[in-house]
Amino acid sequence: MNDLIRQAIEAEAGERVDSRTVLANLHKAKKRKPLGLIVGVATLTAAAAAAAVIIPTTIKKTDAAPAAQPPAAQNVLLIGTDPDHRSDALVLARFEGDGSVAVVSLPRDVYVGSSPDRINSLYMEDPRRLTDAVEQMTGARIDHWAAVNMAAFGQVAAAVGGVEVCLNAPAKDEYSGTDLPAGKQKIAGDQVLGFLRQRHGLQNGDLDRTKRQQAFLAGLAAKISGDQALMIARQVKDTIQVDEGFDVVEFAARFQGPVKIRTATLPVQPEVERGGTFGLGVDPAQAKQFVADQFSGKGPAEPGCVD
Amino acid sequence: MGFDQFVADRLDRLLGYATAITCDKHLAQDIVQNVLMRAQGKWERIGAMDAPYLYVKRMVTNDYLSWRRRRAAREIAVERAELAQHVPSMADPADAHAERDAMRARIAVLPRKQRAALVLRFYEDCSDAEIAQVLGCTESTVRSQLSRALQTLRAHELARSATLGVQA
Repeated sequence: MNDLIRQAIEAEAGERVDSRTVLANLHKAKKRKPLGLIVGVATLTAAAAAAAVIIPTTIKKTDAAPAAQPPAAQNVLLIGTDPDHRSDALVLARFEGDGSVAVVSLPRDVYVGSSPDRINSLYMEDPRRLTDAVEQMTGARIDHWAAVNMAAFGQVAAAVGGVEVCLNAPAKDEYSGTDLPAGKQKIAGDQVLGFLRQRHGLQNGDLDRTKRQQAFLAGLAAKISGDQALMIARQVKDTIQVDEGFDVVEFAARFQGPVKIRTATLPVQPEVERGGTFGLGVDPAQAKQFVADQFSGKGPAEPGCVD
Repeated sequence: MGFDQFVADRLDRLLGYATAITCDKHLAQDIVQNVLMRAQGKWERIGAMDAPYLYVKRMVTNDYLSWRRRRAAREIAVERAELAQHVPSMADPADAHAERDAMRARIAVLPRKQRAALVLRFYEDCSDAEIAQVLGCTESTVRSQLSRALQTLRAHELARSATLGVQA
């Protein structure tokens, strides 16, 4: 029977596609590589932050009674995951009692302390290890964590009927599939990803894109105080995981009106090699100061129109 | 070994392996492409390993065994099983092709991990230890996966021979 099995598997394997097709696709992808690598983080960061705002707000609209006392500020680590449950974007967010939010995105390739482990690898092992590492790195206490599957994000934007953004100039870029006119407009679905992902053809590259994230988040935050809550709740409820002690309904009581967000990215050192892998180092003192500043309201304000 | 050299040497084999465990050439292509793109990003590390091919094979296998593929793979397997029921009646039972295709269909409906173990043993000629590494389990689990798979295939084989009036 062994021979028969061998022949059967050979026959199955013989159905494989032509490797030249795959090779061609790989070469195509290679050209796009810088975009995918760098932009992925930015997009997912935006998604995580947006989801952080959506979840509590929608839950409040459906389940919670308004609280009499303004609740205490809480720090929540938002983990954006890919479809395989790997963490792909990390955002540390401080939710103030009045519903405003300050977020600091953490590049996923930063090293944990002086070890060769990158922070990205910790979530799969144990979310607790991840939150411990972020606490040490930023000096901020983490009250709760929430993991969000990014795949739902495009639908979320579509579910609110589009998010209003404003562009200083038309944006057209074949790499990210962006094709948007100048001025105020509503974007949804694939347009959102294009808007957030575009890097080519932007004067300040990364910096411009960060501003786009902020603009998008502001637009989304303005949108979710409307009647869209139930629909959004349905969109995201299967894609969110939180720690066991996280009472999201109680937490949500702080959101009474449109949400104000300030965003920033943790400053990092140039890429270095440790134990055979590459990653980003962080200056501990600088990181802690940066997070403290951002959380005490010294971060940048919302942008209007963006490049 | 550089990434390009690795791909030149191993791509075809990797596609064959992925096609054999998934029983779906398009899913296999998808998985292999995605895995190689990810592997390229960390090739500094993978290329320096003792057995880069084994590691990449593990990535491919994990991708397939991960939950999101489950539904699609199941549909294909069921479809294949239905097709297989017609195979003996449509072809001469003595025909080697018919026998082989019937076996293919039985392999296609095995649980995914059992099929992966089987392909690693019979297509990739891996040792128990290597299979354990790829599947991320112990060697004794590998042995039990393989023996269960072979048991199922043998039971089918006996039943089929009996139906056709042939000695097993």
